[in-house]
Amino acid sequence: MKKTRLLKNLMLSLLIPCAVLLVLEAMALGKGLRLFANADSWKLFFRAVANVTLTTFALSINLDSGRFDFSLGAVSMLSATVAGTLAQQWNVGPWPMLAIAVAVAALLGLLHGGVYVLTRIPPIIVSLGMALFYEGCAFAFTGGKGVSLVTRLDIIGFSTIGHYILLTAVAVALIVLLFDYTRFGANYRALLSGQKIAVETGIHEIGNALGCYAVSGALMGVVGFISLANTGSQQMALNFGSIGVMFTAFLPMFIGGWIGRYINKRVGIMLGATSMALISLAFARFNTASSVQSIVSALLLVLFLIYLNNEFAILSRFRKKQDAK
Amino acid sequence: MKNLKRSLCLALCLILALACIPAMADGNVKIGVLVSDATSSEALAFRAYYTEYIAKAYGVEFIYSDELTDAAGEKSAIDNFIVNNCKAVISFSSFDRPAQIDQCDAAGIYNAVATGTLTDEQYDEYKDYEYYVGAIGPSMDIEFQAGYDMAAYYIDQGMTKFGMFGGGVPYYVDMHIYRAAGMLTAMVEKGGEGANYKGADNAGAIIGQIYADGGIDTGAIGNLELAAYVGGYDFNDAWFGKLSQMVGTEGIQAILTVGSGVDVLGGFISGSGVKLATVDSFTPAMQEAMDNGILDYMAGKFAASIGPIFAATLNAVNGQPIRDSEGNALALGQGYWVATSSEQFAQYCAVDSSMTDPAYTKEILDQYASSEVSYDDFVDFVSQYSFDEIVSLKK
Repeated sequence: MKKTRLLKNLMLSLLIPCAVLLVLEAMALGKGLRLFANADSWKLFFRAVANVTLTTFALSINLDSGRFDFSLGAVSMLSATVAGTLAQQWNVGPWPMLAIAVAVAALLGLLHGGVYVLTRIPPIIVSLGMALFYEGCAFAFTGGKGVSLVTRLDIIGFSTIGHYILLTAVAVALIVLLFDYTRFGANYRALLSGQKIAVETGIHEIGNALGCYAVSGALMGVVGFISLANTGSQQMALNFGSIGVMFTAFLPMFIGGWIGRYINKRVGIMLGATSMALISLAFARFNTASSVQSIVSALLLVLFLIYLNNEFAILSRFRKKQDAK
Repeated sequence: MKNLKRSLCLALCLILALACIPAMADGNVKIGVLVSDATSSEALAFRAYYTEYIAKAYGVEFIYSDELTDAAGEKSAIDNFIVNNCKAVISFSSFDRPAQIDQCDAAGIYNAVATGTLTDEQYDEYKDYEYYVGAIGPSMDIEFQAGYDMAAYYIDQGMTKFGMFGGGVPYYVDMHIYRAAGMLTAMVEKGGEGANYKGADNAGAIIGQIYADGGIDTGAIGNLELAAYVGGYDFNDAWFGKLSQMVGTEGIQAILTVGSGVDVLGGFISGSGVKLATVDSFTPAMQEAMDNGILDYMAGKFAASIGPIFAATLNAVNGQPIRDSEGNALALGQGYWVATSSEQFAQYCAVDSSMTDPAYTKEILDQYASSEVSYDDFVDFVSQYSFDEIVSLKK
């Protein structure tokens, strides 16, 4: 009985990514293409899995607690800028650079959290302010020139499938460990289900919020590093030019939430990100115009939300039809 | 209480009066600068030339706008310049040039277009406006030629299979469309008998085709092949995937980019053996890319290329605008410097990045920022924009 349930949960968890893969493979066949044509396709896929998984974790950690965060892209940009500049000046390799990016991003996240808990301004407003502040800091730090590491083959060479898998696996493992098997995670979940009661039982919501911001920042540090190592350059963005990054995380977050009914929620998010990575790969393989990409992504998000909001009614109707037969 | 209020009022008046003194004493000419790009290396180089060299050399003050994103932003920025007592506006922003000129004209401050030009229709309408100084920059013909020369450079070396990065082509950025059209035209002209791009076999038809499609199609062009194309600036995983695929396209020999080539493709090009050509600026980062074989060909606007439009604007502010024999404003083209080797690049970069001895120094500009300069002299001066010509001007 338990085995059957486990198997059913596993199958339902893999339903969306497998369905996406099948549909896209069929479309590719129809176009006379192969979705995974060569090593570049695999690399793109695993890079997208890493980027989207980490960004979705970073977004959902705070959003689940009602803290909207527009500064994710700016944290990623500023931490990569600082790490890239220091890597160039100190002539260090990719691993120390990654460590610097994570440390800087965690500090930036902590600062963001600090401003929020000190000022008590609504998180959405604070995050807008911090996004502008961090964009300005990155611009000032490099004089607007950004970072160019195109000649640093050791850093560009970091962009391999193995490294992407390693980073994703470590991030998923650490996030599962932190949020599901530690006191911090237990407090986080208690605060999610009822902040007032949780605080009355002695949980420190400020410390937990600061921790969430720091973890969210650290994850964006990895995203910034992956992006810089991939292209070899970090360009500057001003006037909210960096906030687009967070929007890539909404659909995988909702998909992850649905998958999370059958498997660990963080693993569900990774599977949601995997589905999005497949779609990104298909966009690249089919040479889809960016306008079409935006429309498809928006449609998928809206359709999925419509399904989630009407799930009970849809399933009831489906069951009635089955019973009638 | 009454005495306290009086004292406070008196103190406030005193503070206001004191605040006005420096403003009244400050005789610096203020010039507003409209920018729609504040972060590219080219934009930064232009800004550095104005604020770190020209401002000090001429005692003028440049007030920069924020990074503008639309015509409403341009209007608001010009309002701000007017309030700040700016005598002129130099515009690097092109969302609504006619509205900028109208607004400046109504306010009685001069307007000049830097690194761009008006369309022929716009020029006909505004050429005799009292407060319109004119435009100096690469015309669309020059943009077209920059693309043509880039493609021809590789075709003449015997290369036959190309990739292209179209940058702003999907967003209908005119200069990018003209550069791309120049590249395609070179392929059509050098692709052998019957070569054409989607049936178009001349510059006009190719430009029209790109405007109609909002993109560029891959395929054979005579005995040449445009094997891959990526446009836009999406900066998402799919877009990076397309760029990576383009570099990995079998047999591709060179990738021609309408701009930002090193920034978007540098990481993928490293070690691939594919040649990269771009339009950008002469910065140390580009120099490093060229030294390491990542960048092979670069057409660049030099930072001091905005010196002549400053000289023309200063003349206008000083009451001696430069006009042709019919009283029309300036409309002058200015092209690129092209570097195809590290040594050449280093030579250009040394001059271009210098803030003590830039390409157009005060000594050179002084000859043209004066009441004695004629229209013909000024046209002659602007037309000598090649590196060698400018070096000879310095002697």
